[in-house]
Amino acid sequence: MSKEIVTGNEALALGALRAGAKVITGYPGTPSSEAIGFLLSHPELWKEKGVHVEWSTNEKVAFEIAAGAAWAGQRALVTMKMSGLNVAFDSVISIAYSGINGGLVIYVADDPGVSAGMAEQDTRGFAFMSDLPMLEACSVKEAYLLVPKAFELSEKTKSPVFLRLTTAVSQSHAPVELELPYYLPLEREILLERDIQRYTKAGALICMAQHRDLIQRLEKSKELIREMKLNEFSLSKKKGQLGILASGVSYSYLEEGLLLASQFGLDPEEVSILKVVSVNPFPEEEAKLLLENSELILVLEELEPYMEKNLILLARKLGLRRRIVGKLDGTLERIGDYSVREVLLGISAALGLKIPPELFYGIQAEKLAAPRPITVCAGCPHRGTFMAINNGIRKAGFKKDQVMVTGDIGCTILGMNPPFNTVWNEVSMGASIGIAQGYVHAGINSPVIATIGDSTFFHAGIPPLINAIQYQVPLTLIVMDNGWTAMTGMQFNPGTSEKFLPQGSRRVDLEKLIPGLGVENFWVVDPYDYRKMSEIILKALKLEGVKVILARRECAIQAMRRGERTGKVQVNPEKCTLCKSCLTITGCPALSIGEKAMEIDQTLCNGCGLCLFTCGYKALEREEA
Amino acid sequence: MQAIGNPEYPYNIYLVGVGGQGILTIGEIISQAVNLQGLPVNFYPTKGMAQRGGFVKAQLRIGKDLVGPAIPERGAHLVLAMERSESLKAVRYLKPGGDFLLWDYIWAPTAVMLGQAFYPELDVVKEQVQTAQGKFIVVSPSLLADFEGNPAPDNIFLLGIALRRTSLGKVVTFSAAEEALKNRFKRFTSRNLFALKAGYNLEL
Repeated sequence: MSKEIVTGNEALALGALRAGAKVITGYPGTPSSEAIGFLLSHPELWKEKGVHVEWSTNEKVAFEIAAGAAWAGQRALVTMKMSGLNVAFDSVISIAYSGINGGLVIYVADDPGVSAGMAEQDTRGFAFMSDLPMLEACSVKEAYLLVPKAFELSEKTKSPVFLRLTTAVSQSHAPVELELPYYLPLEREILLERDIQRYTKAGALICMAQHRDLIQRLEKSKELIREMKLNEFSLSKKKGQLGILASGVSYSYLEEGLLLASQFGLDPEEVSILKVVSVNPFPEEEAKLLLENSELILVLEELEPYMEKNLILLARKLGLRRRIVGKLDGTLERIGDYSVREVLLGISAALGLKIPPELFYGIQAEKLAAPRPITVCAGCPHRGTFMAINNGIRKAGFKKDQVMVTGDIGCTILGMNPPFNTVWNEVSMGASIGIAQGYVHAGINSPVIATIGDSTFFHAGIPPLINAIQYQVPLTLIVMDNGWTAMTGMQFNPGTSEKFLPQGSRRVDLEKLIPGLGVENFWVVDPYDYRKMSEIILKALKLEGVKVILARRECAIQAMRRGERTGKVQVNPEKCTLCKSCLTITGCPALSIGEKAMEIDQTLCNGCGLCLFTCGYKALEREEA
Repeated sequence: MQAIGNPEYPYNIYLVGVGGQGILTIGEIISQAVNLQGLPVNFYPTKGMAQRGGFVKAQLRIGKDLVGPAIPERGAHLVLAMERSESLKAVRYLKPGGDFLLWDYIWAPTAVMLGQAFYPELDVVKEQVQTAQGKFIVVSPSLLADFEGNPAPDNIFLLGIALRRTSLGKVVTFSAAEEALKNRFKRFTSRNLFALKAGYNLEL
């Protein structure tokens, strides 16, 4: 045993190693990225054992690789954020029908409270839709312990198993007793099983038989989960009327909430508690005990009232009339993450306790803070692209509000904020290119521009580009290629330089791929070269058909981490008039207003020189590195 | 060692600052230090979307084995803030009677520099902390000590100040913090140890 502080994501990865996973895949996405990230930065834990770990092109690909390995009899883990499951789900539901051989765990991280953008979707819904078991951990420690159990359940039922964490658990750091050795290999024979009844979907008979098997597997998992004692029911020590059902991170707030409520008349010993770990299948036996022993039941779960509905259904089935306090009666919200406040609000609504509201609400001083919109970093190549798009639109004779610039996921969306105000919308990975075509077909008279990052383009941007090429849709696509999957914390992707890819990998070069699809008007431009970039954008806006600009320059943060600067920019205080144009146009964090002249923070500035183009007084001077 | 206050409650620290200031490193060091002392801890950083220059917060809950990661409003025994304006976002989490230690650094957003947005005066923060019945301790960044001719790391300097001037000193021992620093910084060890000590010994 080794007691170490690890994050929820790391605990997940370590749990999978301990369970003998042979194939571990994923696509980066906050709050799940550090599971694979941790493994890739610790190859000593797995590399020599023959384990395969990778960042895949997207979540669907990642899932399929893991599923293939599980069909072949190995244990496999696939990791993603909730949005990624939407991408992978087509294959997930199909594999759910077929079942698997080796254990397959699908780790999905949900983000109630939206720490990282995107929909507050509750992926438990996908578990119900696909009839797959889903387990959820309430703490970092439990995440580590649950992984081997999820694999065991998966193998015993021949079913993929979801393991769900939410941001507060996946991003938390806590001490965990880690079992040694970290990796416990399994002896597995590779299965090469040909059985079209199980592994194909051609025909109603096959599919309906598989559907029946799927439902039976979920039934079987109910018994196994009971045997494994994953869910915990604890009967109140003294007879009382309140029961609480809590799942996920909400459970971790319970003890604190009960203690606080005890100051207002609650006796914690009068409360029965059901901790739900298997959110699917719903633990009916334990829930029955809760219903039988409580007059009123508080349900604590973030986001959607899934457990609550299950409980209401079960009470009806059992013919028990119970008051259920949760979201459906309006006590608690479906929006945001929960804390001890929801425990107290729920208890006080259930029992009519008089808990003063000021106990949950502090002084709202944040409204007095300065707004701090996030922008691109100093030296970010995207700055050059946003500036050039704005310039190109102006030079083409349009106003900014006449030209649709669709946006995509990742750092490239930061063009939505001041000072650029370039990008209009954000939908999902790759959507900028499809949405742009919709605007064109809608009959828009002005040019349409789509923007997307490199990793996002590889992930889901290629099919919509193919569509645009096939129908020769007049639009300008700008692929902002900084060589990294940057916003999620600098993961490599298929386009990353081979210097930084795992040994034996080959880089997929967008400069070859895009013209290969049949794009005739194609340019590769350095976004630091503002004049060239503006000129090409202007040209593209005037041409017919599909135009693609590959704005290529490595992420400045990554280059700076290796000590690489492109140059040095300094202010000539004699010439600077403090007109502030440089700051107004670039919004660069390295620039600030000094007493007599602008100032540049040399620890941030990488010498990109984009500010030079904004200065009418030649007060900014650049030396090439 | 038991957390102070009601022994059944965790000791809560709410950290705020701007990405790049090293606020998360403070959280990491405190977590490692309390782990060395054998206390349970949950450290929950929220990085947001920006690599640098965005709002960053972290929540530390010490002394309880199973504890929800988020600190309730009015629940933090200690607020450690590294930027004046961002410090206001922590006020609602401050426990009445808790310590509010502000490293009064000003990192003005662009709109503020351009005169398009306001920036709070120090008195505004003080007033808000007092309304929340907290103990306001402000340290000017001009007091930062030099190490071999260069400014010492301000985040670790601030941690040193907190160990001496706030309730943190009753939870985390100086030697555990030193030990955690040694483990965390295999390079630049001496400059970080120096910063911790200099902060600790700073006369306010």
